[in-house]
Amino acid sequence: MRSRRVRAFLRNRTAVAGAVLAAAVILAALVAPAVAPHDPLIQDVYNMLAPPGGPHPLGTDDLGRDVLSRILYGARVSITVGVFSVLIGTGMGALVGLMAGYFGGPLELGMMRVVDILMSFPVLVMGLMFMAILGTGMDKLIVAIGLVLTPQIARLAHGAVVALREMEYITAARAAGAGPWRILRRHVLPNVAGEILVMATLWMATAIRVEANLSFIGLGVSPPTPTWGNMIREGVRWLVVTPWLSVFPGLAILIAVLGFNMVGDGLRDAMDPKLL
Amino acid sequence: MRWLMGFVCVGVLLAFVGQAQILRIAFDAADLKTLDPHYAAATMDRAVVDMLFNGLVRYRPGDITVFEPDLAESWEVSTDGLTWTFHLRRGVQVHPFPGAPEGYELTSEDVVFSLHKAADKDRSAYAGEYVGMRFEAVDPYTVRIILDKALSPSLFLPKVADYAGGFIVPKGPYEALGPRFATNPVGTGPFQFAEYVPTQKVRLVRNDRYFRGAPLLAGVEVWYVPDVTARLSALVTGEVHMIEGVREQAWVEAVKRMSGVVVDVFGPGETEVLHLNMSKDPVSDLRVRQAIAYALSREEVITAIGPDVAEPLCAAVPPYLAGGLACAEVAEKGLLYETNLELARNLLAAAGYPNGFEISAYITERASYRKPFENVQAQLARVGIRLNITVVDHSSFHTLIRQDVNPLVHYEAWRPSADAFLTRFYHSASIVVTGAKPDTNFSHVTAVDGLIEAARYELDPARQAELWKEAQVKLLEELASYPLYVLKFVFARSEKVDYGYELKSSLALYPQVTELTRLK
Repeated sequence: MRSRRVRAFLRNRTAVAGAVLAAAVILAALVAPAVAPHDPLIQDVYNMLAPPGGPHPLGTDDLGRDVLSRILYGARVSITVGVFSVLIGTGMGALVGLMAGYFGGPLELGMMRVVDILMSFPVLVMGLMFMAILGTGMDKLIVAIGLVLTPQIARLAHGAVVALREMEYITAARAAGAGPWRILRRHVLPNVAGEILVMATLWMATAIRVEANLSFIGLGVSPPTPTWGNMIREGVRWLVVTPWLSVFPGLAILIAVLGFNMVGDGLRDAMDPKLL
Repeated sequence: MRWLMGFVCVGVLLAFVGQAQILRIAFDAADLKTLDPHYAAATMDRAVVDMLFNGLVRYRPGDITVFEPDLAESWEVSTDGLTWTFHLRRGVQVHPFPGAPEGYELTSEDVVFSLHKAADKDRSAYAGEYVGMRFEAVDPYTVRIILDKALSPSLFLPKVADYAGGFIVPKGPYEALGPRFATNPVGTGPFQFAEYVPTQKVRLVRNDRYFRGAPLLAGVEVWYVPDVTARLSALVTGEVHMIEGVREQAWVEAVKRMSGVVVDVFGPGETEVLHLNMSKDPVSDLRVRQAIAYALSREEVITAIGPDVAEPLCAAVPPYLAGGLACAEVAEKGLLYETNLELARNLLAAAGYPNGFEISAYITERASYRKPFENVQAQLARVGIRLNITVVDHSSFHTLIRQDVNPLVHYEAWRPSADAFLTRFYHSASIVVTGAKPDTNFSHVTAVDGLIEAARYELDPARQAELWKEAQVKLLEELASYPLYVLKFVFARSEKVDYGYELKSSLALYPQVTELTRLK
């Protein structure tokens, strides 16, 4: 069963290509200090806005910092924010969704209406809202994006549990004396984990995009830490002079978002029994 | 109403024949803040009020070193220096406004009203400039200003010139319009207000009865376009004729290469100064402030901005003002603090910070503050001073620094005189939060109060300048601030725009549009 899914995933060329892109971004984040040609924070104002080529393969920014190195280090921020915010979102979302779905009644009604209300806001607007409350900084960015993702995962987990909770084996487990937490952990969670994993991968792409968006409008990580969104934002002033300042980090975002989306889609297809 | 319809008809006709001389300027702003000249402080607002209002005297367009008559034809000062008498020009017409479709002739009643308004802190942001003054209308064309203490002309005339509180707001329309005046300004200038479309533009039309003659342009439109790339493309496509540019050399050079576009870099420019907060540890220690000064390279920050746009500033008052201190003079006194990282580290060690220290400061998202501050951050890191920066929006930044949260404050400012620079940034009364009149003394310095006050009431210009310079030397010894550079203004225009004067410097912070400005 499991190997069949793996094979289905590997047969899907788009998914494999996505995995390669996503792996490249993760790798860049991991090995940035080893492969970056320069220190991303070192300013060389005597060599500002240098065009791509030579010692600076992707040129330098308006303070003479190496763009390639900043993009590599920027991957660390994107991946860190992506991974941790998705962990927070998935953890909280799964908890809310499983509880609401399993216990039902007024608890379900209350929780899911709150989820519905939160889901009616566009992701970016919610991100803005939380950032406005929390303030700027990487930790706050992670919490804010995690909160944004929570209702999405909660809805998914809830739907899955509602379908499961009337199944005979759940009733059997209950009849055998298992408590609700045991049933949720042992019998429900394993059955929805796959779907949540797919969702988490897809939302990883969204988390990276939201992080870039928030950084672009100045609500992200503080300078001098390079992030892709900050880099685009700083480059915008120079669009007519040195467009690469915005174009290269833009490409990096494209690669990361495309990669995680393609992996997510591939995982979904591989998990879908109808397609096997 | 009839005049308005007349203008509409003329406008439509001109548009049809394609000869409409409407000058369109795009500013780096999302919207106007206020068009009441006694509050207008931002570049885009100062520009509009400059076209709508006059002062008693004016800075010559394009050259702020010369005063010439404006609403006043002539003026004289009594021998004791206490009484200034201004003789008003006859036949100056106030623009039409609701209740006076033809306007009316401006008289001393309006001038005295306006000066009282400028001196009233509830109706003016510049009230402090007019303390200790009485205003009298001697007859309809004569205004007398009586001072408690005599001021030198270089300190007095800016207060009645076409800048800030010196703009004359006519009484009739101000009382008729009430609070609406801020978005429906009525003055005496070459152009009159026609329309305000929030977040888009302000439209001005020619004042045919302007006392220096009808303007050559049929009108001016001021557009609010906060994105510089959008402004530049609007200029290149001919949608607008003039734009506020990026005040950095790389931008100036790139845009200069575009065909049909002229870039103006002009003065006086704003001072960019790093204020060192002496009330916060460890910056309170003089040795630490000296270490900061020796760690910094003014030349490097200037290189980051570009030497054509940023000129070195070595003291509190820029050298183009009376009493300003040039870098050469600072060097003579041995107060340049030329970069010496070894010395900086030793000073830190002597102050008990052999491994440096960590401080946190807010900075605005605005590039003209943020970029040099990021460079300062990198420079200080070389001696182990770790400066953590939090970027906030511009108005939050202004609020926060006035709450005294920053150990280092990067501040960009223009002030009309040495007295204004020194009083507002270095007099103890101006200390943020705790001063008698909290303003922008971010360093908490108190050492130069006496010199500032002595200079203010010194009538001998040479002696006055000496006192101002003495104050600045003292400030450099105390290191209340580390002056970085004077940032000039950058505007790009279509080569079709002819200002009608030679542009060297403009106090209106934009290349002034006058009755002689035209489109070729």
